[in-house]
Amino acid sequence: MGSDSITCAPAPALPKDLVKKKRTNRLAKLKQSKLDVRREQWLSQVKDKGCKMDSNGRGKSPSSPMQITNERNRSLDNMEMRSRGGENKDLRIHDSDLESLMNSPSGSILDLNDSKNSGSSSSSSYSGSVSEEEIDDDCLDDWEAVADALNANDNQPNSPSDSPAKPDVRVESPGPDLANKNQGDDLLKTEIRIPRSNSNCRAWRPDDTFRPQSLPNLSKQHSFPMTTSDWHCGRGAITWAWQSIIPQPSSCPICYEDLDVTDSSFLPCSCGFRLCLFCHKKILEADGRCPGCRKQYDSENGDVSFTGGVTTIRVAQSCCMNGRS
Amino acid sequence: MQASRARLFKEYKEVQREKLADPDIQLACDDSNIFKWTALIKGPSETPYEGGVFQLAFAVPEQYPLQPPQVRFLTKIFHPNVHFKTGEICLDILKNAWSPAWTLQSVCRAIIALMAHPEPDSPLNCDSGNLLRSGDIRGFHSMARMYTRLAAMPKKG
Repeated sequence: MGSDSITCAPAPALPKDLVKKKRTNRLAKLKQSKLDVRREQWLSQVKDKGCKMDSNGRGKSPSSPMQITNERNRSLDNMEMRSRGGENKDLRIHDSDLESLMNSPSGSILDLNDSKNSGSSSSSSYSGSVSEEEIDDDCLDDWEAVADALNANDNQPNSPSDSPAKPDVRVESPGPDLANKNQGDDLLKTEIRIPRSNSNCRAWRPDDTFRPQSLPNLSKQHSFPMTTSDWHCGRGAITWAWQSIIPQPSSCPICYEDLDVTDSSFLPCSCGFRLCLFCHKKILEADGRCPGCRKQYDSENGDVSFTGGVTTIRVAQSCCMNGRS
Repeated sequence: MQASRARLFKEYKEVQREKLADPDIQLACDDSNIFKWTALIKGPSETPYEGGVFQLAFAVPEQYPLQPPQVRFLTKIFHPNVHFKTGEICLDILKNAWSPAWTLQSVCRAIIALMAHPEPDSPLNCDSGNLLRSGDIRGFHSMARMYTRLAAMPKKG
């Protein structure tokens, strides 16, 4: 948690950037200064009645609004209780749990849908809301700001590939504590993020230790080699997992063909020798010895183990999830 | 069949790319048949084979790389693990210790290592093996040196 203050630094900047983009899109219709003032005003309002705005805003989001609104409402209740209790430390822990949940396929359905929505629609919903709500209306403007903040928050835990510049945020649990320390803007974000964690944290407690192992697979699917090294900083378990993966060859040493995603998570022998599934099968049909250590492949390993027993299932599921979204 | 061809082709490209990486090995593919290769290896220094250039012939099976290539010396060599007449090589990695991870290039390296470190206990050339096993290092060296000069070094004049 010590690293939160560092890794979370980019978080507050994000919504502002997005807002800026939108401003240019909307031409000169809304002047920047005006918007800033409004936003300030609105943010101070939100502190009081932010919850209502939030749920309303959510209802307008393009994809599966029902589920999200439900979740929001439910979790917002939690949030109010929590934040009034001022148990920030407690919340922080849940938050990290939540993010582990995001990465894992076995999260609740709500969460799954949510992550899908935010992942796929994060870009589209921005443009959509902008074009729809060209009307010069204070309320809508404000709402857009909320939506920005929301989406930004959604993006952070769900889709690392959306923001390669700040990969750490996702892993290290963008700290509500930091946000609290910062300007008033961040209060909003904190409030929004907290409910999400509260709604889901319980399911993930016990599995938290396994979370790191599912991370690399996700990152590989997004194929972001640049970010991956930063990802696991400060997380012993993940670092360990990565060290065994990073030096792997990019092509199969047997047939010299490039390893695809499945191949690169395929670890048939304890000696760490990697090869593609094709060659592995051919070798099994022949003498069945690992080319790296010349030991016989275990018969149980014959049915394809992916970098460890528990993660086997995870990998498969996360693949499916990704395919659907 | 297709897999072995693809792999050999990639090995060929690799060899072309790293031609200067290992100056002791020159590996070349037959112009018309990618399953026939020849290699020229330099005798390792501080051995009786130093200064000689030995030619190897590779016959790559269609099951390659699951099956090892068949390698033999075309140049006559006096070595306990090389058949004096046929040039057949007794080397574990060309038999049961073969691994598909090996390449033709690495086989050449293994053969150079074998030249520097003969295994007299599994001889194909009994005379050579007996010399070494009886401790007649000097006799072995002079025989090997003679054949290196005769067969593996450019003839003078």
